[in-house]
Formats: sequence, C-alpha cells, structure tokens
Amino acid sequence: MIAAVHFRNFKALRAASVRLGPFNLLIGPNGSGKTSLIEALLRLRTLASLPAAPAGGAERPGGPQIEFEFAPPYADIRVHLGCVSDLQCDLLKVDHPPGPAGEARWGELAGRIRSIRGYLLDHYAMAAPARRAGPAGLASNAGNLGAVLATRRTEAPAAYAELEAEFRRLMPEFSGVDCRDGAGGADALWFPLANGEAAIPAEQVSQGTLYLLAILTLAFDPAPPAVVCLEEADRGIHPRMLREVRDALYRLSHPAAAALARPAVQVLTTTHSPYFLDLFRDHPDEVVLAQKQGNAATFERLSDRPDLAEIIQDAPLGDLWYSGVLGGVPGAE
Amino acid sequence: MTSRGTLTIESLPVNTPPEHRPPGLATNDRQPGTARPKVALLSESPADEAALRVLVGYVLGPFEVVPPSLRARGWPSVEQVLPPILRHLHFHTDADGLVVVVDSDDSVVHDAAHEVPGYHHAGCRLCRLRAVFRRTLRHLPPARGRTRVLRAAGLAVPAIEAWLLCGRDPEVTEAAWLAGQDRGRLPYTRLELKVRAYGTDRPGLPLQTRRAVEEVSRHRGDIRRLENDFPHGFGALARDLQDWKKLDR
Repeated sequence: MIAAVHFRNFKALRAASVRLGPFNLLIGPNGSGKTSLIEALLRLRTLASLPAAPAGGAERPGGPQIEFEFAPPYADIRVHLGCVSDLQCDLLKVDHPPGPAGEARWGELAGRIRSIRGYLLDHYAMAAPARRAGPAGLASNAGNLGAVLATRRTEAPAAYAELEAEFRRLMPEFSGVDCRDGAGGADALWFPLANGEAAIPAEQVSQGTLYLLAILTLAFDPAPPAVVCLEEADRGIHPRMLREVRDALYRLSHPAAAALARPAVQVLTTTHSPYFLDLFRDHPDEVVLAQKQGNAATFERLSDRPDLAEIIQDAPLGDLWYSGVLGGVPGAE
Repeated sequence: MTSRGTLTIESLPVNTPPEHRPPGLATNDRQPGTARPKVALLSESPADEAALRVLVGYVLGPFEVVPPSLRARGWPSVEQVLPPILRHLHFHTDADGLVVVVDSDDSVVHDAAHEVPGYHHAGCRLCRLRAVFRRTLRHLPPARGRTRVLRAAGLAVPAIEAWLLCGRDPEVTEAAWLAGQDRGRLPYTRLELKVRAYGTDRPGLPLQTRRAVEEVSRHRGDIRRLENDFPHGFGALARDLQDWKKLDR
C-alpha cells in the first residue's frame, strides 16, 4: 500500500528515502532508523483520523517532515506530515486528484491507513488474562491476546481452527490453545498438553511460545489490517523455527502463495538475527538495510547493490551482513 | 536395488506418526538386531530432508535415521559444519554413514573429469565436500565397531527443486544447466524452479515438504531417470549409496 517514505530531519533520518514493497525486512545497527520508519507509519495512521490541512495552509518550516507515496490504485495521492519536533507531528497535508472523486479516493485510502498496526510483543502482557473490549484487533503489545483469541473462537471459528491447527503443527507438545474464563471476567490462555496430562497456563509457557502464537494470531486474522509492522520478528524463536515465522508473515504479504483470496497485507518487520536474514537469499528485494553515518541514517534496498549476485554465492546472507560487506553494521561510519 | 512396487516408510512424509502409517508397512524405527543401515542426513530444510529420505530409501531400501536432523545454512556453512558433524557421528553415534546434498547454485558443476583419482576442483562443491570427508576421517581412530562413517554426497544442480522436477519438466537437467553456463545464459533461475516445483516462489514449509515428497515419489523406487538427467550431482550420491551396500559392515 505504501510505496515510499521520504524523511527530512526526522530523528536520525536527516535526508532519507525508502521504497517499500509488500514485504520489508529492516536490518541495521541500533539507532539506524528502523523503528523510526515504523513510527512514521503509526503517526500517519494517527493523523489520518484528523481533517487534512487546507491546501497552501500552515507549514512547519524547519521541523521534521515525512512524505508518503502510495502504490496503485492510490499512486496519485501523496501525504505530507509536518512535525514540530521528533515527538510531535501535528500537520497532515494531502495531495489528491481534485473534485469529489478525488476526495472519495482519499477517504478510501485514509480508511486503510487507519488500519495500520504496529507491534512490539510483550510476553508478560500476553500471559496476563485480558478483558474483551469491542472489536479492536490485537493490541500493540499483544496484551489482549487471550481476549482476541476468545473472540475469534466465537465469531470466526473456522479461522480459529486454522490458527490452532497451525499452532499444533509448530508446537506439537500442545494439543491446542484454550481460552478460559479468568478472574474478573477476563479471558485467560491455557495450553493443553498433547499427551492429555494437563494444561499449562500462559504465564508458565515459554516466551517463544507466546511470541509464536501472537504472530500466528496476526497471520491467521480473518480481517487483517492493511499494514502490519512488527518489531523483532525473530525474538524468542529458535533459529530453526524462523522459517515458520517468515512463512507466517508471507501469509499476510503474499496471500496468493498460501492459496488465500484476500488483499495482501503490507508487512514491515525488523530483525537483528543473521539466521532470519538468511531466509531472504532468494528475495533480496525484500531486505532494507538501514545505514548509520555519524548521526544520520539512510536506507538501501539490498537488491539495489550491483555486486549482490556475485557476493551472495559465497556465504549465507546473514554471515555477509555480520561481516560488514553489506553495510548495516555498527561503527560503519 | 530398488523398492519398486513396495511401500516403505521412505515414501511417507517426514514425521508421519506411527498411527498414521499403513498397516504392515516397514518403518525406520530403530529395531535392534536388524541389518538396516543407520543413516544421518544433513540438509538445509525439513523439506529437503523429506525428499532425501525417499531417495536414499530407493537405493538402500529400508534404513534407520540417526537423530537429530542435521541442518546447515547453505553453502559454505555445510563445509564449515561438516567436520564437527562427522566427528560427532563417528564417536557419539552408531551411524553407518552420512548423506549430504548441497545446491550447486552457479558454481562449477561436478563432472566425469572430477572423478579421476587424485583430482580436486576447488570450485566444485562436491569435490570440496569429499575433501572434507577425507581430511576429517583420515586420522580418526576406529570407534563404535567401525573404522569410519561412510560418505554419500550429492550436488543438486542448481538446486534440489531440479531433482524434484525430474521426469516432469524435461527442460530441467544437468545438461541444460551446463549448456546454459557455457552460453552465459542460464536456462532457469532458482526462483523459477521453485515456482515450477511448488506453484509459488514463497512456499510454506508444509506445502514445500508435501510437494517434495510427492515429486520424488513419482519415481516409485526407480532412480534411473534421475541418474540419467542428473548424472554427476545425483549420480554421485547414488553411487556412494550403492557402494555402501557392497561393504560388509
């Protein structure tokens, strides 16, 4: 949905641009702008709920600026965010085709923008029982995981069954995921053991199990958002299971590959795992390197490197990244 | 020897639980006192391993898989992890042999000239794998009642999906790849092979595994077409495995 983002003076992104595809794996040293890119999308979501500033209206001269381009069918719309500081963006300017038709198309795009979701999963929050609160999706820390799954089990049983079957395949020690009434009417997650001996409460299962379940909850969402941003997709997951994480995220970004007839969800995810990066050898166009030079950061698509085909023959992508030959490593300036 | 016309566990997906196996079917489950070879497999993914299990079974007949599943992260990780894996298998398991298959990608393809005793092509991944076997095993003392772990090394040209397409896509052969290398215009890419084999270049692991097993199972125990279309990469693997059967262990 989002084709490109251009930054000026936004945090470390002094003058940076990035093209985005259906799937985007962001790698780079700490402080190189990966999270800032995700933050920009979340600010766009927030401001898209507000009325746009009139054409030729107020500017934020000298302040941080973020500009968004969109993929077809919204390629003729551009959105500009003006900020008074790195922490506060309060100006939304929209360039769209004139007339009611243009207004309507912007309204349509704004609706999709408002569904952008960002996640930094928190296993403590996920393990705690959660109350159901309306039709909201998974919270940004997945702290309402129990409530979301309990709702889905009731309202979308087929989707829930599919998710549960996938969870069983990946974690065969469990026979499924159970949502039980917890204290104060909250939904508590339990994990029945496959051997039938007992069920384990969420607070006693591993962090990785909860992270994996949250990722599957996103991947098997029957009504997914337009864009999913996920920080550290590899966190807590065994290296051999990372392929499954990638495949779950591909289910969102490339639904046709999973024989799903629904619109693609744009995925942005970050990682510091060379093992996760290895999995993108055949799709370097999906990897975005964040580079830090002094206090300024820039982005580069891995597929834009002219020598990539040559160097990729000699080592796994993760090893190449770690070595420094790809860039995107600390202390490179 | 092949298992044509005989159902064996090797034709089932990896991890098929015993209760889902057809009744009376031979299994890979360890059975003390049987003469089944004990085989370790080093591969890049569970899907590759599933296909290899079927192919190895076609040559060896029923065999036991030595746990755990061994994985490498592609070339040159295979070359790097192979020495410790061989030492582990030699001293700490009763594995008779190790099966390892690597993708050639765009590297030099193994050919008949490389089979001359003493020849080693530094750009050929199969020659390099064999060299690692030789170097690692040469000075190991006997252990577990055997002198060494046997080698079965193959080279998938350019990737294992080419083997999966054997007999279904006549354009996919070692000869076609070599001709493409000579011309400077490769006949297909890894991604194209994935699409042809799985219907998508982003297959999920269950789909990839299922398709891999389905495709190699088309050969029904007869590896002659694979040996014909992939004489050096697959042929080398088959010859190594056939040599195991000549040895009295």
